[in-house]
Amino acid sequence: MSGEHEHFIDKVDLEARRRAAKVIYEKFAPVIKDVLAGRPPKLVIPKRTLANTVFDPERGILVLGEEMLEREFLDLGESRRFMQTLLMAAIIYQSLIENEYPTIRDLYYKGKHTIVYRDLRGRRQEENTWDEQKESDAVIQDVEVFTGLFREDMLILSKEKGKVVGNMRIRSGNDVIDLSKLGHGAYAIESTADLIEFIDVDAEFVLVVEKDAVFQQLHRAGFWRKYRAILVTGSGQPDRATRRFVRRLHDEYNLPVYVITDSDPYGWYIYFVYKVGSINLSYESERLATPKARFLGVQMSDVFGYGSKKPYLSDSERKKFIIKATDRDVKRAKELLKNYPWIYKNPLWKREIEIFLKKKAKLEIEAIASKGIKFFAFKYIPEKIETGDWIQ
Amino acid sequence: MARRRRTSSVTEERYKSRSVAEMIAKHGEFAGFQNPTRALYQTIRELVENSLDATDTKKILPWIHISIKEESRNSVNGARPWYIVTVEDNGVGIPVTVMAQAFGKVLFSSKYVIKQTRGMFGLGVKAVTIYAQQTTGSPIEVYSSTAESQYVYMMKIKIDMKNNMPKVLEKGDWAKKAAWRGTRVRVKIEGDWKKAKSKIIEYVKRTAIIAPYAEIIFETPDGTIYYYPRTTRKMPEPPKEAKPHPHGVNVEDLREIIASSKARTLKELLVSEFQSVGEKTALEFLSKFGFDPDMNPKELLKREKEGELVKLVEALSQFKFRAPKSDYLSPLGRDIIIEGLTRMFSPEWVDAVTRPPKSYKGHPFIVEVGMAYGGAIKPVDEPVLLRYANKIPLLYEEREDVSYKVLKSINWKNYNVEFPAPLIVLIHIASTKVPYKGLGKESISETPELESEIRNAVQEVARRLKSYLIKKEREEEAMRKAEALAKYIPEIAWSLAVLSKPPDSWTPPTPEEVNMFKEKLIDIVAEKVRVVGPGGEEVDMKKLVKRVVDSVELE
Repeated sequence: MSGEHEHFIDKVDLEARRRAAKVIYEKFAPVIKDVLAGRPPKLVIPKRTLANTVFDPERGILVLGEEMLEREFLDLGESRRFMQTLLMAAIIYQSLIENEYPTIRDLYYKGKHTIVYRDLRGRRQEENTWDEQKESDAVIQDVEVFTGLFREDMLILSKEKGKVVGNMRIRSGNDVIDLSKLGHGAYAIESTADLIEFIDVDAEFVLVVEKDAVFQQLHRAGFWRKYRAILVTGSGQPDRATRRFVRRLHDEYNLPVYVITDSDPYGWYIYFVYKVGSINLSYESERLATPKARFLGVQMSDVFGYGSKKPYLSDSERKKFIIKATDRDVKRAKELLKNYPWIYKNPLWKREIEIFLKKKAKLEIEAIASKGIKFFAFKYIPEKIETGDWIQ
Repeated sequence: MARRRRTSSVTEERYKSRSVAEMIAKHGEFAGFQNPTRALYQTIRELVENSLDATDTKKILPWIHISIKEESRNSVNGARPWYIVTVEDNGVGIPVTVMAQAFGKVLFSSKYVIKQTRGMFGLGVKAVTIYAQQTTGSPIEVYSSTAESQYVYMMKIKIDMKNNMPKVLEKGDWAKKAAWRGTRVRVKIEGDWKKAKSKIIEYVKRTAIIAPYAEIIFETPDGTIYYYPRTTRKMPEPPKEAKPHPHGVNVEDLREIIASSKARTLKELLVSEFQSVGEKTALEFLSKFGFDPDMNPKELLKREKEGELVKLVEALSQFKFRAPKSDYLSPLGRDIIIEGLTRMFSPEWVDAVTRPPKSYKGHPFIVEVGMAYGGAIKPVDEPVLLRYANKIPLLYEEREDVSYKVLKSINWKNYNVEFPAPLIVLIHIASTKVPYKGLGKESISETPELESEIRNAVQEVARRLKSYLIKKEREEEAMRKAEALAKYIPEIAWSLAVLSKPPDSWTPPTPEEVNMFKEKLIDIVAEKVRVVGPGGEEVDMKKLVKRVVDSVELE
């Protein structure tokens, strides 16, 4: 932990590095011990396969199952991945110690070597340690599950996508930031959401909107001030930091979380990423998912009405705003209904999807906003929250 | 009998009493010369085989020079081209006293003219003489000298067809200035090189395969020179002289034997001219079939005694004599087959077997099989078969041959050979009487004894091939594994060196630290991947793994 520039780095950051480096060192110590003793080395890693991904109904999130994978160096099917895992761990370890802030792209480049060798027939052979970033990204995930550390814990940065405004103050690094005093702008949620310290939060609920444009409209319309909300957007598919930030607000301040997305299978999927986590990365759900997040809209029943519920759109508006669902949308909707118990076991979700399949129509949030931002901000959202017209 | 080494013992003599005209009339176009393509091919064969006989029967390391040149001639359109074929050897040479008859009298036999008696169709080189004079009207030209002779003799010979007598058109002699010995035969014939080309080139190649002890130079009309250098000085043992076995003679054979024998009684004839017959056996045999032991055998040659002669042959084939001797067979031997296949095909594996002698109908035979696998051999859909009978390559009628049928019936998968595979199978049959299928003598018929012996031989070598392939497969797998692991060792060693130091006192790993992990990992891999080489020896895996690891460069 040396370096002449160290005193410019804040303490929180340094401590996080120290913690992570220690965990990595301890986790790999047995592997090193094996090699020194002449024993074939192996890594025991929780399996990240779909088969080992289970939905925990009690907690309402996706988690990794019990299955472990023994990645042995001497196993030909695993030796390449074994090499990659060690290489990635070593690069991350060194980066932590040398106070670097690699992104996953940096890690890809740092570890991408061409192994040039002569085979036993004397022919020249070449092999890359990894070829595409997809491959090194998967190795990072292996290091995460093997060490139990998230990439943020290891000071691996990624592009910031999430934004937040609202009545709250935080400490990031050495600075205190008031998230209600950012003008028309917003606070970009940093990659290491766990290193943010919440100083005080004065809010009734959290409103997450899928789209950045809608976030800006609500912000300028003064929505969060009027309703004492924390307004968040993940700009489409949310990154880990945004999800972690939302989850912390929910956990630490017991704030209800409402989510607004497009009214189509893709929008629903984004909601479920906030709520239960993604299948690919189920190991992170435990810390990133907000199982109690509520799907506020836009619901199919908001568009078409259902039973005694009246639609928010008139016939002429509906004709103007709805878009015909594509075959892919329909296929995706059917999959949701078939594969995911947290969807097909929920009658409200069943209703939503069935309306969708029947009408074969979808609608973007902007369509509701187009009816007038005042309608959207001061009627649609508050009315639905008040009447409990959401799905959880 | 030594002179009849390459093919049947007595085939040609059966024609002895007939005239050339009769013989040719009987066979029409005599076998092997039915068209210009075959004729050119057959001419090469007759001359080359004579040369080989003139050398290896006396254990002379052969030097053979073959040349075919197209004769430029102003001819009418469409006339067939003429070729001048010259074959020269360093063999025993032909004494001047028999030279004219050797090339110009059909069915002439003399103990000196070893080579003439082994010809394929009983005619030998005389067929070439006849063909030349029929197609180009020119004589056969022979230069020869024996080791003892002070002179080199030359003759230009034709055959007086009517009287079956040589006609010497020109002759000459020169005092030898150097110690030259050998024979050079030159003949001008009609032919078709374009069509015969591939077969002739293949014939010379196959001859060279089983004669790695010979130096062969072949000049084609295209100007290409095929040169097969001598790669070994080891030669097969020349066949020993042997008398015929009583089971192996027919009426014509017996007539010839009686004619040339000095025996004055039938008993004496049996004892002196046949193998496996002693005095006691002879008497027992003659009394059993009611022959007079004291009868003069020449009596049987009289026309009115023809029936007696036939009866004697039948009796000889029925009586239980001792099994025929096989020491007058001349197999190639394992070493020569291996050497020949190796030098011609550069295989990764080669082996051969010479089976013990067996016999069918009183004719002893030996089957030899060689196999070459991999290396420079290209994989093809079925084994490449090289057939030989009495050291003569057989090129035509492959699919009719018993050897082809045996190979076809082998389930190669049982021997770990999956076609397409790089496999060459050489099959040599040495016998005093090869059971050819037809007059063409290009394929061997399915004699049960022969077929089963070929199968045994093929299976024997195939089993060895299998055990080689199994070992190779195991070795390759282990090598692949060692390689697949070794290449990652440098990266892993560096990573371990980085991870092995605690965060608080971390410094970048030194080359020594990385090397220490490398060594440990090399040991772990070498320990796990043990290889026994095809020779049964333990392979030093540590060295091999280290070699791969040391070759790694990271870019």
